[in-house]
Amino acid sequence: MRKGGQARVTYIALLIIGLLIGGVIGYFLAPPKAPPEIQDILDENEQLKQQVAQLLEKIGQQEITVTIWTIGPDPPSEYRYKNFEIAADMLNSWLAMMGSNVTIKVTGEFYVRPVEWGEYKNNFYLAYQAGEAPDIYLTGHEDIGFLAANEYIIPLDDYIDMFWDEVYYDIIPTLWDAVTYKGQIWAIPQDTEARPMYFRKDVLRQLGWTEDQINALPQKIQSGEFTLDDLLQLAKEAVDAGLVDRGILHRVKEGYDYFQFYLAYGGKLWNPETGKMVFSQEAWQKTLQWFYDAVWTYGVIHPNQFSGDWDNDFHGPFTQGDALFLSGGTWHKGEWIQKGLLTEDSFKENIGFALHPAGEPGLQPVTLSHPLVYTITKQAVERGVADVAFVLITLVTDPHLNSYHAVQSAHLAILNSQIYDARYTEDWFLKDVAYMLEYTTFIPNHPKWGDYSRIVFNILRAVESGDLGPTEAYQILYDEITTTIGDDIEVVP
Amino acid sequence: MARNILKKLRKGYLLIFLIPSLTIITVFFLFPVILTFLIGLTSMDYTFRWDWIGLGNYIYILKDRWAAKILSNTLFYVFTTLIFFNVGLALLVSIMTVHINERVGSAFRTLWLLPRITPSTVYALLWLWASRGEETALFNWVLSSIGIQSVDWRLTQPWLLVILVNGFIGVSFGMIIFTAALKSIPEDYIRAASVDGASTLQIIRHVELPLIRWPIMFVTAYQTLSLLTSYEYILLVTDGGPGLFTTEVWALYSYHLAFVQYGGIVKFGYGAALATILVIIGLIMSIIYWKVFRFKELMLEPKIEV
Repeated sequence: MRKGGQARVTYIALLIIGLLIGGVIGYFLAPPKAPPEIQDILDENEQLKQQVAQLLEKIGQQEITVTIWTIGPDPPSEYRYKNFEIAADMLNSWLAMMGSNVTIKVTGEFYVRPVEWGEYKNNFYLAYQAGEAPDIYLTGHEDIGFLAANEYIIPLDDYIDMFWDEVYYDIIPTLWDAVTYKGQIWAIPQDTEARPMYFRKDVLRQLGWTEDQINALPQKIQSGEFTLDDLLQLAKEAVDAGLVDRGILHRVKEGYDYFQFYLAYGGKLWNPETGKMVFSQEAWQKTLQWFYDAVWTYGVIHPNQFSGDWDNDFHGPFTQGDALFLSGGTWHKGEWIQKGLLTEDSFKENIGFALHPAGEPGLQPVTLSHPLVYTITKQAVERGVADVAFVLITLVTDPHLNSYHAVQSAHLAILNSQIYDARYTEDWFLKDVAYMLEYTTFIPNHPKWGDYSRIVFNILRAVESGDLGPTEAYQILYDEITTTIGDDIEVVP
Repeated sequence: MARNILKKLRKGYLLIFLIPSLTIITVFFLFPVILTFLIGLTSMDYTFRWDWIGLGNYIYILKDRWAAKILSNTLFYVFTTLIFFNVGLALLVSIMTVHINERVGSAFRTLWLLPRITPSTVYALLWLWASRGEETALFNWVLSSIGIQSVDWRLTQPWLLVILVNGFIGVSFGMIIFTAALKSIPEDYIRAASVDGASTLQIIRHVELPLIRWPIMFVTAYQTLSLLTSYEYILLVTDGGPGLFTTEVWALYSYHLAFVQYGGIVKFGYGAALATILVIIGLIMSIIYWKVFRFKELMLEPKIEV
């Protein structure tokens, strides 16, 4: 009996200790609470409050649930979802203050790797068929044509007009182009980014470069003085000197980054006048030749880079100083810091960033942007929650809230006022890459863009692996693009 | 009269007993095949619209410049893996483990089950790490001790890797069937052969192998069909690369087109048409095996009482 009692005491003690440890861990792992000032969006803005009240007055339900799907897939982009929770809290406290018995509940998902974009989009379309689509769906702007044409999402022009003077006047104007399809606006920009060519300053130092020379490299790239050929040459020097194993790294899976090299050779992706995608023959020939040379003439890109894995063939070698260049995105900086691969200081000390160099003298350096956007599904209208969904999107389209996302995940501003937001301007990296947006291109908002991207990926992979030479690869690329895309592609010299 | 009623009753009973399996076959085999065939006649994409295009997808397959290459890849993959691993090595492992100490044999066979029970992504990751190009990666590290230079195995020998990855998994099925068959051979036959002066090799060749002819044929037929539709490990290890459709097999091509598009454009219709072709190939192979291996005889009631 006594033994049993002792055992029970021990169990209770262990349980208490366990709870205490759990509590301490939970405290440190808990997401940072929104600072007080962001709770005031509604308090501060009388006009916005009236607009919101106008939209919500029709609602009779007591609890309204809004489902939201977002994706990283990089974990630092969690504020794409979390900001909605903050916005719902804000809205609920305001509703309570007004004496309303309506409460807003936010539910949904923030998907991270191993879920990639393809799977995320598949899930959406399948959920839609099952009548279980989210009310708010975050996606890439290039999907808008397809989603709008097939009535998955609703146009937002009337809503935007309602809140224009309070919120939407502030959106950086070029971003509206990315969400417009057939003259209507179908989504609200969530973020954008630039894709820099990162370089290791420490490797350049070992190659004998002075600090001034290193710091001048982004400027030389911006002016077009340093071209893609120089990039190969410099990468080869570093490899030959035994300073790095790999000269240049690029993403290891299908994606849109490779199109930057084609743009750097003067290629065009689409013709806004005809709405068709463009195949620039000369630019593609030069791009394929460049990739071939990079692997087989200069030996600075690994022939199996396209079949590599993210940790061992992309993040790892670059952050450990085993590669000189990395064609990446601004969000990678956020990922490296959050994963502990680099610290803010070591990044500043050893990593530089620039545009993707021009293909040849006389051409422009480039970068590519792929704004992510919030859409409202037609099923949200059927469920009667579209108005609330739009109020929530309006609240998260706020300089403070969006800056949380931008700073943590190293994405760029969508609002003009954000550029002056204290939190955003404190981030030296975001400030320093802002100029890249002047050199950016959006990918085409075209229903057949996926075909273009897939064919290019297959051909580039074959060139790098040595399966195809540049001439043969070009011929196959041309044939495949023109047969698969047909009338939607414009071939230009 | 009474006999007729009895006969009808018997038929009725049989039907009742057959209903569960008939339901399963209809719901899980027949219905999906019909659905796949019907989708193959449409240009269905994410809109899930049934836009009928007749044989349009099949005509497109005929024009598809990669179809011939992918078909020959598929046949190469299926028969190489089958001959060397799913049947060949399975037979070898069974024979060897049956002829050694029972406990050691069992332990050895259990080891061969490990790849089968390992989650597929973990198993594929292990192979990916082992076959990397660095000198410290497992294969290169082992082979360097006999003076072989380090290479990236996925780049230089993608087929070897694909076949090994699938083969090591595929051995277990045949191994279990063959071992069971070998163990069920009456001990008298082996003893009689030994008394007649047959060596172990002769016993295997002239006694055991002929006696397990049916299981060998069954495993061959079953594994052919299984390999024909398998793509999971190829997807995980090479994803059809490293070159242009280097290791792309028919089932993977269908999967890529129907489900995996980074840009979000999927072709359920075309993917389904490709899958239908695979079903047709499977049916043809089944009929060939049925005829060549004379499976009908296997199913017949024995002519003598055992």
